[in-house]
Amino acid sequence: MSPVLEARNLRVAYGGNLALDIPHLALKPGELVGVVGANGAGKSTLVNALLGWSRGTPSVSGSIRLDGEEIGHLPPHARVARGLTLVPEGGAVFMRLTVEDNLAAAQAPRGSNRRAHDEAEIYALFPRLKERLHHHASMLSGGERQMLAIARALRLGPRALLLDEPSIGLAPRLVADVLRTVRDLVDEKLSVLLVEQNVRAAIEVVDRLVLLERGRILASGPAAAMRDDPRILAAYLGEAAA
Amino acid sequence: MNLVQQLINGIVLGHAYALIAIGWTVLLGVARLVNFGHGQIYMLAAFVTWWSVAALGLPYPVAIGVAVAAGVVIGLIMQAAMLRLTFAQDLVSIMIVTLGFGHMMRGVAGLVFGGNPQVLETPLSWVEFEVAGSWVTAQDLAIVVVAILFFLLLYLVLERGSLGRTARMVAEDPKLAQLAGIDVRRVYFAVFAFEGAAVALAAALVAPRTPILTNIGFEEVIITFVVVVLGGIGSVAGSYLAGLGLGIFTALFGGFVSPAYATTAAFLVLIVVLVLRPSGLAMGRASR
Repeated sequence: MSPVLEARNLRVAYGGNLALDIPHLALKPGELVGVVGANGAGKSTLVNALLGWSRGTPSVSGSIRLDGEEIGHLPPHARVARGLTLVPEGGAVFMRLTVEDNLAAAQAPRGSNRRAHDEAEIYALFPRLKERLHHHASMLSGGERQMLAIARALRLGPRALLLDEPSIGLAPRLVADVLRTVRDLVDEKLSVLLVEQNVRAAIEVVDRLVLLERGRILASGPAAAMRDDPRILAAYLGEAAA
Repeated sequence: MNLVQQLINGIVLGHAYALIAIGWTVLLGVARLVNFGHGQIYMLAAFVTWWSVAALGLPYPVAIGVAVAAGVVIGLIMQAAMLRLTFAQDLVSIMIVTLGFGHMMRGVAGLVFGGNPQVLETPLSWVEFEVAGSWVTAQDLAIVVVAILFFLLLYLVLERGSLGRTARMVAEDPKLAQLAGIDVRRVYFAVFAFEGAAVALAAALVAPRTPILTNIGFEEVIITFVVVVLGGIGSVAGSYLAGLGLGIFTALFGGFVSPAYATTAAFLVLIVVLVLRPSGLAMGRASR
């Protein structure tokens, strides 16, 4: 099966310092791939580079293909229009907009045949958002903001979704909820690249795991096989020590 | 001095101020940008209106359209030159570049239109109405009516439509707006085109009140600054009220104290207000 999203020789540098060097990374249709690693391993740099998006000014090179089509030269909004969507770290939503406006602001381009979640599906997935529809996003809890950010991404009808640490700052029970929701979305044929620092929680839901260290892939493989990999165990320990 | 006449003058002047300032209000509210070439766009648009009527013989309403088109073109050229600075939100450089553009526009105006003062005569200037023993021209009425319609339309567009939502998203977080599929570059171009168009419209309507010279525009940019800050940066309704208030204040001060110190007094009001209420008179929320 040809991948939905594929990166080759993806390199990101900040002011001459190489921050990321990925020879090859692929996401298959209906697959949930977890990207794990310590702080500063390059996890966020990876997903941001796939979308060509950054708060800083990195230089990015390499090939990025979405459904076989090269998108590496496109600006972020054009990649979003083609079906690659990113939920950045910290549940980034528009604080001064209501929940309703946050959702209405995101729509799949007219004429595209991609599957976008309609309002009813969004509320079925995140009933809490329906209750908070007319609240400003600034009044939501961290978990609710995360739901809103994911919901907004789903409204865009993504072919592939990049999720950057959706569990950060959430209570442990909420982490399981959010990750379970992500798994359900993948079971409905969405392809997701999930960045997660919480290795223990991630390994329960992902199909494949990619371990990053200092901007390079240290190990990758099916989640079941990686469970006992000493390097993953080290990452566990790193988490326990932290 | 007749109080009613001064009030009428103030109301007309206030609507003129509000109209002159609105482009900058949106520029600041949506794109967090400044344009110190604002006054020179006003000057150039006044000349274009005059030239369209006097040299080309176009009817005044068509000349207004020509001036607005010129304003759009100038806005787009400025933004094209500053796009990188805009994305970096490098306000100091943008200030200097727009000041430079202003000087260039003054030079171009001198070359093209010459150094002589010109008077733009419109059919509306000759029509006068009597209101409670005071006089108002149709030109003055046109300023008031157009300003009110323009502000209402802008308010509705920014508050109700998806365009307003897009504007608020870009104002809050342009980077995040990209992730919602918004072409932020296009928004920046549109905002600068609007800024040029709005100040050109104001010039085409207000310039018939005074002689047109290449060195006008400085007072307009100062007034704009006062209106934008008093109104609460980025607030459309606030700008309208601030423009109106400043117009009435200037007319009354000019009529009953001294016209020579009216601008100074306006600045004094600005300083006092900023000391008492640093966010301006309106609660500053982008594009409301």
